[in-house]
Amino acid sequence: MDNGPAQNTQLVSDLSKTRIPAFSRLPVKDIIIYIFVMTGIIYVILRGASEQGYHWQWYRVPQYIFSFEDGIFTLGPLLQGLKITLHITWISMILTYLIGLVTALLRLSDSIVGRFVARIYLEVARNTPLIVQLFFVYFVIAPVLGIDRLFAAILALSLFEGAYASEIYRSGIVSLPKGQWEAAHSLGLTGFDTYRKVILPQAIRRVLPPLTSQTISLIKDSSLVSVIAVYEMTMQANALVAETFLTFELYFTIAGIYLVITVFLSQVVALLERRFRVHH
Amino acid sequence: MSEKQLGDYIINVKNISKTFPNGVTALDDFSTNIRRAEVVVVIGPSGSGKSTFLRCLNGLEEIDSGEIIFDGIPLDENKKNRLKIRREMGMVFQAFNLFPHMTVLQNVMLAQQLVRKSSKQVSRAVSMELLEKVGIDDKVDSYPIQLSGGQQQRVAIARALAMKPKVMLFDEATSALDPEMIGEVLDVMKTLAREGMTMICVTHELGFAQEVSDWVIFMDEGRIIEGGTADHFFNNPQEDRTKLFLSQIL
Repeated sequence: MDNGPAQNTQLVSDLSKTRIPAFSRLPVKDIIIYIFVMTGIIYVILRGASEQGYHWQWYRVPQYIFSFEDGIFTLGPLLQGLKITLHITWISMILTYLIGLVTALLRLSDSIVGRFVARIYLEVARNTPLIVQLFFVYFVIAPVLGIDRLFAAILALSLFEGAYASEIYRSGIVSLPKGQWEAAHSLGLTGFDTYRKVILPQAIRRVLPPLTSQTISLIKDSSLVSVIAVYEMTMQANALVAETFLTFELYFTIAGIYLVITVFLSQVVALLERRFRVHH
Repeated sequence: MSEKQLGDYIINVKNISKTFPNGVTALDDFSTNIRRAEVVVVIGPSGSGKSTFLRCLNGLEEIDSGEIIFDGIPLDENKKNRLKIRREMGMVFQAFNLFPHMTVLQNVMLAQQLVRKSSKQVSRAVSMELLEKVGIDDKVDSYPIQLSGGQQQRVAIARALAMKPKVMLFDEATSALDPEMIGEVLDVMKTLAREGMTMICVTHELGFAQEVSDWVIFMDEGRIIEGGTADHFFNNPQEDRTKLFLSQIL
């Protein structure tokens, strides 16, 4: 224990001795491996497609994304669908965070009823398929509440993802040292202020990575709301595939669009993490 | 030894008992009274219930039976009473427990603004004054992780003092510190003692007890074995267990 710092310096000097010569830092080897792997993947895809006798018609795809005629830019069906997808995910994301937080706080509360209700909700939402929940909300709950299919989709998605988010919040909260609660307690902070100023700011920083994963899942899971005929991007693609038989072209295209959105989101969160670095 | 005048009783502890769920009895029919401006040092072997006693005083632990009255307010089920008592007692922990996501200054300002509803300007001024007093005024915008253990503990003392508490509880405040940092924290505590702060200190620092304490309590197995002035306690202990303990640590 006592010679810890000494061992550390030892380690550092060892590392500096075994430093790799400068020229080999060029990632030549990495690039070769990358090209090799990508070639393999593309070969498998093309081979698979050709064995099926698939006839690629990529040139027909752009018109379904957007069109540009007579100087007028028009969104194609896919981007129209993307607008709905973004609309659904944006609202569901906020609701997911809220539902997750409230559920986590209820599970950690002193109230027996609160804990019980939160637990029941969590187990039901987490242990049944999203597609069943979508049907349930749309056919059973929506008529009672008088909500349209778009909001039914948002509600079902938020309830489903909120259950996972609540466990993420809870793990962040209970991971904080007990001393943080005790310090706030001894200063006379109310429970509300303790959560608001001491616990949640630390807990949320800790759970940003898993919360981001959950948000990415939400974006992709939004494609499932096509089952209740909400015309988001996947629904548009389904409809176009039925019409044009451009199966792979269209599905790969929307996969690419989902990828762009989720990578963008990950980058924004990475930026946030750097800005709010945790001081531990 | 000390020239200050002790006041009336501020804390009455009557026959409190506390058994943890694992069956360990931390406090066994424990009673004591503490006067205003009194500095009480609690010593005893580990597991004797010293820390539990402190933690029961401000409600961090629940007592099973007995009664604690602080400045006329009973520490009972009433949430308002509990909050009131917590706000009048400062506590300093072995592990400092500073808020890592806030700067030194924010740590000290937080409770003043939230609990005492002081304005930003006022709580800032009070905090700067206290940080100067504990010798951290040049690091107010640092984060706790950037400070040494001794500095962190001095910030923690300033944070507790910012609430203008009537009593300060020190729970082994120097036990987690490197030896060369113990002195700087004890100096702050001694200054407080001399200024007339009512203090209850669980500590292993017998020099501190001899220098500033008005009363020393020796605890074992959840009871007070012996209590007395530092002079009496260290030079003329009566009980065998006290003598044994002192012989082991002196």
